[in-house]
Amino acid sequence: MKLLRAALLAGALTGGAAAGAAAAPTLLDFSVEETARIVSFGPWPPAVPRDGANAAEGRAEAVKLGRQLFFDKRLSADGRTACASCHMPARAFQDRLATPARGLRNTPSLLDVAQQRWFGWDGANDSLWAASLAPLAERAEMGPSREGADLVAIAKALAAYQATLVSPRTPFDDFRDALARGNVRAAARYAAAAQRGLRLFIGEGRCSVCHSGPRFSHGEFADIGIPFFTRDGVDPGRHAGLKKLLASPHNRLGPHNDAGAAHDPRAVATSHVLIEHRHFGEFRVPGLRQLVHTAPYMHAGSLPTLTAVVRHYSELDEDRLHTDGERILRPLKLSAAQAADLEAFLRSLSTAAR
Amino acid sequence: MKRIEAALLAALNIAAPATACTLAASDGVALRQGAVQAAWRTEPAKIVQGEPFVLLLRLCPVGAELRKADATMPEHRHGMNYRPTIRDMGDRRFRVEGLLWHMSGRWEWRFDVRAAAGAPAEVLRASVVLP
Repeated sequence: MKLLRAALLAGALTGGAAAGAAAAPTLLDFSVEETARIVSFGPWPPAVPRDGANAAEGRAEAVKLGRQLFFDKRLSADGRTACASCHMPARAFQDRLATPARGLRNTPSLLDVAQQRWFGWDGANDSLWAASLAPLAERAEMGPSREGADLVAIAKALAAYQATLVSPRTPFDDFRDALARGNVRAAARYAAAAQRGLRLFIGEGRCSVCHSGPRFSHGEFADIGIPFFTRDGVDPGRHAGLKKLLASPHNRLGPHNDAGAAHDPRAVATSHVLIEHRHFGEFRVPGLRQLVHTAPYMHAGSLPTLTAVVRHYSELDEDRLHTDGERILRPLKLSAAQAADLEAFLRSLSTAAR
Repeated sequence: MKRIEAALLAALNIAAPATACTLAASDGVALRQGAVQAAWRTEPAKIVQGEPFVLLLRLCPVGAELRKADATMPEHRHGMNYRPTIRDMGDRRFRVEGLLWHMSGRWEWRFDVRAAAGAPAEVLRASVVLP
């Protein structure tokens, strides 16, 4: 690391061409702590252990069947809706709508979904297969399903397919890997604005407290001051999701866990999860990969652009936050240049817009 | 012979069992509050953000009890999203399951203990910074 910084100080990265000095690639003098934090966002893609609760996961024939089912409208009660109707492959497996016609929440992308601990904005499901079953039964989505259909088997095949949906590497990943290797020249190719935005993200902005790890999410829930009022009342978010989870016969503690709860390392979260008043109005912290392709943002799609998301955190209304919620949230009060840098970093977590 | 030794110890008012309790370095990080000593370690040894882990706690003196174990982030004004469970493994060893630290930063252990059934409650605390 000392060598890397020395090289920077010596101006070795500028290439020595005076005329091109302004445009020459540069690398910020990231500290040891900053570098460690940046490296913690990778490598990508990570190795993801198979979910033993779903014996179909990782089996080629199940993946093939699940893919067919994913696009099959016959799974819906009216024969007009497939999973892919809302989770569109060409749109990062979401629909670009704020909320679907019959729903209250934004359709989440399915990229990297197998890496989640909890599923849905409220975490009402603890496995990908249980989350795949829910829309088949919900009248507001595809259900109720046909009498006698083996929903659990269908859901497990659907999950086997979705577990294969992994987002591609991004400009940030190339930067992160170069930094991890100590390859200054390669790291310096990462846009300067994105580097400055990254420094804000892991530093003053404290974004990485919740948006951590290779997926840029700690996998839990938060209240960030987004209104949870709906056209019919309020959306209680995680609080109601926890009640649904614990009452569900399809959770990891139930009889459909192929590994058996006692032998499923992921079941420990379900058996110990806590329900408290502070969970009211909390929603799952989403990952940030392929963010450019998943607008609009937040649980009800209330923010149309990344610019609006950055502005939300810059001007955060503390009066909207839960009184016993996360204490470290506060308005970032970003300058225009800082907001642009932060957005440049967020954009670097996606492949180029199509 | 044993009877004679016991009688002598009683006459000298020496409470042998109270000195028999020891904690080994392999039991982990040592703590002390009042009459209670503890040592803790985790499985895996390195806590990984967002991954469930287990805490192994050993107490002294003989008869000491772990009543409750929890961890909070004081600067964040919240704790875990999980309620840990305690299993008494015997020989003053306790296994705490259902632990998951979802954020980096300073976490504070809180162990509610007592030296023996009916003894006053004591609280052991320790700070850990999760990078």
